[in-house]
Amino acid sequence: MLTVALPTGRVMNEVIELLDSIGLPSARLKDRGRKLVLEDQNYRYILAKPMDVPLYVDHGVADLALVGSDVMWEAGASLIELIDTGMGKCRIVIAGPKELESRFIGHESELMWLKVATKYPNIADAHFSSRGVQVEIIHLHGSIELAPRLGLSDCIMDIVQTGSTLKANNLKVLANVTPVSLRLVASRKSSEFHWNEISDIVNRFRSIGR
Amino acid sequence: MSRLPKGCTNVGGDIASAMEQCRELFISSFSAFGYKPFWPSALQLLETAWDRLPESIRTRLITISTPFGEPCCLRADITLAAVAYLSAHHSPEERPLRLCYSDRVYKAPQRPETYLETFQIGAELLGWEGEGADIEVLNLLLKTLDKMGLDDTHLVLGDVKIVQKAMETIPSQLAQQLISCLEKGSYSTYFKILQKSSVPQSILPFLKALPDLKGDSQVIARTENLLGSNDCLKSLKEIERAMRYLGYGNRIRFDLALARELNYYSGPIFDIYSSRLGKPLGGGGRYDGLLFKYGIFGQAIGFALDLESAAAISRFKGSRSSTIMVWPGGLSPAEAIIKAETLIARDMEVEISWSADRKESFQLTRMRDIPWWIDLLHDIAINTSNNEEYSMQTWIEGPKC
Repeated sequence: MLTVALPTGRVMNEVIELLDSIGLPSARLKDRGRKLVLEDQNYRYILAKPMDVPLYVDHGVADLALVGSDVMWEAGASLIELIDTGMGKCRIVIAGPKELESRFIGHESELMWLKVATKYPNIADAHFSSRGVQVEIIHLHGSIELAPRLGLSDCIMDIVQTGSTLKANNLKVLANVTPVSLRLVASRKSSEFHWNEISDIVNRFRSIGR
Repeated sequence: MSRLPKGCTNVGGDIASAMEQCRELFISSFSAFGYKPFWPSALQLLETAWDRLPESIRTRLITISTPFGEPCCLRADITLAAVAYLSAHHSPEERPLRLCYSDRVYKAPQRPETYLETFQIGAELLGWEGEGADIEVLNLLLKTLDKMGLDDTHLVLGDVKIVQKAMETIPSQLAQQLISCLEKGSYSTYFKILQKSSVPQSILPFLKALPDLKGDSQVIARTENLLGSNDCLKSLKEIERAMRYLGYGNRIRFDLALARELNYYSGPIFDIYSSRLGKPLGGGGRYDGLLFKYGIFGQAIGFALDLESAAAISRFKGSRSSTIMVWPGGLSPAEAIIKAETLIARDMEVEISWSADRKESFQLTRMRDIPWWIDLLHDIAINTSNNEEYSMQTWIEGPKC
């Protein structure tokens, strides 16, 4: 039996559709109620907060997971990334008020000492420090867009899909950091000991063009 | 309560006992095969460590300056010290050098880890040629793990020569990108890069199949079909054959995409997994290049295990204490100690209760879940769980045995 960790929240319905499309059992997921662990045929599903999913795999509690590449990089877990499903596409960007735009067009030294609010402190640190830029990172857990409006930060690093939330908060994309999508990942241990089963699932994804 | 520095740990209680028993067993198993215990310095000079350590360790060194003003790092790895010891203290005629060790190592934690100090047990076989050395080390490793009660462990073997061979016919920049993907486990990016690149047809099928080459010994045959009869498979084939002969065929698996530190490792590499742990228990491999950096020609192989993880799932963890509480009664301390020593001579672990109060001594023994309480003055043994009483002679011949 393979254990698969799945992210709860707004991506859940898309994930169930995806499992359906590759022929993995999903009836019990659709009728999950408040259950967080459920078994369906030869699969055990663990339903976890998106940010926690990589850790379940890293610690070997789950063999496989569908996880956003943003939380995968943020967690820093050592996982085997098998498939980019192409679903849940969005981007991690730096966004801020229009007045900040000129600093992002000029030399990178102009970014020094910016206050950046984000729920991705590790990605933000890697992004700015790889450019030799020192910034102050403010770790928030939600409503990131509020931070510049209320003077908590100069700008934010966050995921953006359509940009409508940014627009509603008078924020503008100042720089693109990286594209994000839903990935199929496996634990290193499971990829060694359950490769045949995992490989079968990978091939099912490939057969639907993922 | 005094706080420890973040990332550090004191280990006591049950797990400390299990670690000590695993350590003792490990050192004695390897010593029986000529491995000498080795205690390296906790500090290493940065000038000697820096260009000899693999990058993955170099970037995590914890550096300090000694009171003598010498820039140093805390020992992040014991292999380097072992090779330096070989080069400085042993002439070529004294090789191979076999070392085993058990000590702390210090590295800046990598997310999501938080500890900066861990306990390693390991062994190194330095300066011997051929697969015999690999097989000796792997066999001893599995035998020792079995003795610890870790007979559910498996070795996953790869060989950096196979990855190097596959990459030598493609442009170096592309090779670097693909190797980086394999090291990180980013297979989806690996295939994306491969799809976009023009790779010679002679090697393309193998590169496409590489991440898939995992499993039992049939993987070797599959690889031969893809690469043709090839020297780079020789070591793995030899190891597989020998381990099967030694009765460990079912404990060996292969992952030919296993790639790590291609500039450091030089041949077969391996990870050790237990079915009860999500992460590897340890790993190792052949690292001839490090010997060369010390001016020594020859082969080196070594491995390290995480002692705390091994102990946590070993047969020693949680094993009920065999300690016996002895109460001197009216005996003098010297008389009590001599009587306690007669029990120790019978392979018992003894603790002396110096309480003057018989009832208090018995109650404390029971509270600590120690199974037997002995009144040394009257030669009586009492089972603390059911109060059954025995004369010493009956107890030694009966219940204790």
